[in-house]
Amino acid sequence: MKFTVSHPSHIREGVTIKSIMWSKIVILLVLSLFSVVVFGLQALALVLVSVLAAVLTEAGIQKLTNQELTIKDGDAVLIGLIMALLLPPDIKLWIPVVGAFFAVALVKHGFGGLGSTLFNPAIAAWVFMKMSWGALTGSGSIPHIGEYTDLLVEFGAGRLAEVSSVVLIIGGLYLVYKKYIDWRIPLLYLSSTIIVAVILGEELSYVLTGMLFLGVFILAPDPTTSPITKNGRIIYGLLCGIMTVIYGYLTYNYVVAVLYTVFFANAVAPFIEKNTYPKPVNEVPA
Amino acid sequence: MTTEDVKKVKDKEVRKQVVIPLLQHTGTVCEPIVDKKTDVLIGQKIGEGDDEFSVPVHSSTAGTVVAIEERPHPICGSVPSVIIETNETNDTIEFKTSKNPSKEYIISALKDSGVVELNGYSLYNMLTSEKQINTVLISLSFSGDVSSNCAPENIASIIEGMNLLIKASDAQQGAFIIQKDDRQLISAIESGLSIEADIEIHTVEQDYSPSMANLLAYEITGMQIPNTCTPLDAGVLLSSASSALAVRKAVLEGIPQIKVNVTVTGAVHNPGVKNVRIGTSIKEVINSCGGYSGEPGKIIMNGIFSGTALSTDEVPVIKSTSHIIVQSSDEVLHDIPGPCIQCARCVDICPVNILPGRIASFADMGMHDECSKLHVNSCVECGLCVYVCPSSRHILQLIRYSKTVLQQLVEYEDESKSSGCLSCETPCLASTPFISNGGIL
Repeated sequence: MKFTVSHPSHIREGVTIKSIMWSKIVILLVLSLFSVVVFGLQALALVLVSVLAAVLTEAGIQKLTNQELTIKDGDAVLIGLIMALLLPPDIKLWIPVVGAFFAVALVKHGFGGLGSTLFNPAIAAWVFMKMSWGALTGSGSIPHIGEYTDLLVEFGAGRLAEVSSVVLIIGGLYLVYKKYIDWRIPLLYLSSTIIVAVILGEELSYVLTGMLFLGVFILAPDPTTSPITKNGRIIYGLLCGIMTVIYGYLTYNYVVAVLYTVFFANAVAPFIEKNTYPKPVNEVPA
Repeated sequence: MTTEDVKKVKDKEVRKQVVIPLLQHTGTVCEPIVDKKTDVLIGQKIGEGDDEFSVPVHSSTAGTVVAIEERPHPICGSVPSVIIETNETNDTIEFKTSKNPSKEYIISALKDSGVVELNGYSLYNMLTSEKQINTVLISLSFSGDVSSNCAPENIASIIEGMNLLIKASDAQQGAFIIQKDDRQLISAIESGLSIEADIEIHTVEQDYSPSMANLLAYEITGMQIPNTCTPLDAGVLLSSASSALAVRKAVLEGIPQIKVNVTVTGAVHNPGVKNVRIGTSIKEVINSCGGYSGEPGKIIMNGIFSGTALSTDEVPVIKSTSHIIVQSSDEVLHDIPGPCIQCARCVDICPVNILPGRIASFADMGMHDECSKLHVNSCVECGLCVYVCPSSRHILQLIRYSKTVLQQLVEYEDESKSSGCLSCETPCLASTPFISNGGIL
């Protein structure tokens, strides 16, 4: 009789990369649906083009370099989807194609593929597009949460992600509940943003936009680009919150503030991580 | 061949054998003190070591020694073992009973009984070491041990065993450690304890396997114990339900450790708890549970998170066996590891607060210096990081690899220092004695 021999553990919890990625994708698809309601078919075209470009770029790179195709793990879809949500609906459709290529080819695979990226590919691509075609990627409107119903659907949104905070909050809480993302970063990011904004006397109706919740629940806790140490994640969350308010306070634009903040926080995450290595409870004395 | 011959041959095959490894503890292999063709009785000593870490081995059956040779061992590859053919009688040696033993009597009784903890330490050595013992802890928090030994009828004996250990060690206090959810066991122990005795009940949140002894002692006493030390260094004698039962049997009834309770779960027809002679093959134990249901794929000894997967079911039950899990062939994991996405789920669940995934990635690249800086040697190998990994990475295997390489380096640099690891369920029995004061790792 033949028996399998392996190291422990002999069972798994059942959470896989696929399940994490696809649950995020489902949440963002619901958000996209809201944006289609608000912006019309323009938004649908943007999402489709962006996702398709990201997936095709990934497939092309993996074909060219003889790697196994990993479209199914959902990472390329997620990158394309997030990138679409950061753009205004009336954008010329060749821009997200270039952006998706930049995100997947340079920021993801250029740094070693899944798990090795320094920056969140979607945000890095957004920064790239913003730098290159600033006038074409700008939005005409800044969201303002004047009433509570604006949290559910905000018709004043300028970018796709801003249309609904409620979808992102519910989705984010689901991710935390399923332990697909860690609770530390969302909690500290959101609370420090609110506290600092109140201290500075900012109007929260301009701060608590859909983009902030996208940052709090999807962008900042992105596993690869956030620190792995527990204390590091606390510092990272605080840093995100404080930087967002500082940027927003100085530029009066809390939407762009979130994106530049997470981009900046990604850059310093390895530094935070290195300085917060934990001490084991049974440390061997030197 | 006449029918009589056939019957004889058949008889010979049917004759049950027990295979008793001469190594069931942390330390060196015992020397056999019986010869081939000697007749032995139940409880007769058949192996003894001459160094301080060895624990005697006893025959679990009456019969004749048919061979002394290397046989497969559940943990250590193959080990010299005494093979005894049973004669189906219950002839025993004379067991010395005692009603109210003194401290000296308990210790001397434990010396000859070969009682071993689940992690391979000899209780006699622990009691006679120079270290002052303040607290006796009996862990009822390892699920395999609890399911095997904490049946209601055993509770009184476990408490008796606790009292004997307290007496033998001159400890001021004792405590039972029970998992928080196990209300039934908590109330059973509570009602069994007499009021005047200074014995407490502590509850813990998780399942502590025997390899997590130091961590458990830390949880209760708050004293940090590195992996080079044992709970004994913090004045704690950490025992388990199975040893408490064995102690009581050895001291009050004079019976050495020749039987263990084993829980069999998983893909067998009648899962349950069996009282098994040491040396019985796992196959026989499983047959007594109605045999495999379906195609078996994996046999796991002692815990699904951190247990050892056995390469064959011909290996014997040893003193530290408490739980056998059979997985059917479709339950066996065949997932292919992907890249680490640095989700830090392993960091969040790690009970010793290290970075398992990062260490594994460094070990994968052969950067063992970095692993050492990230405290790879603090790992207690509970297996939880592998359990939660969304990428199915072989984290524990890589950590063990790194530990082995680092240990070899230390041995290469300074051969005079003995070093130990708490790697396996039972620490590597074949290596140098475990307890060391000057160990580097």
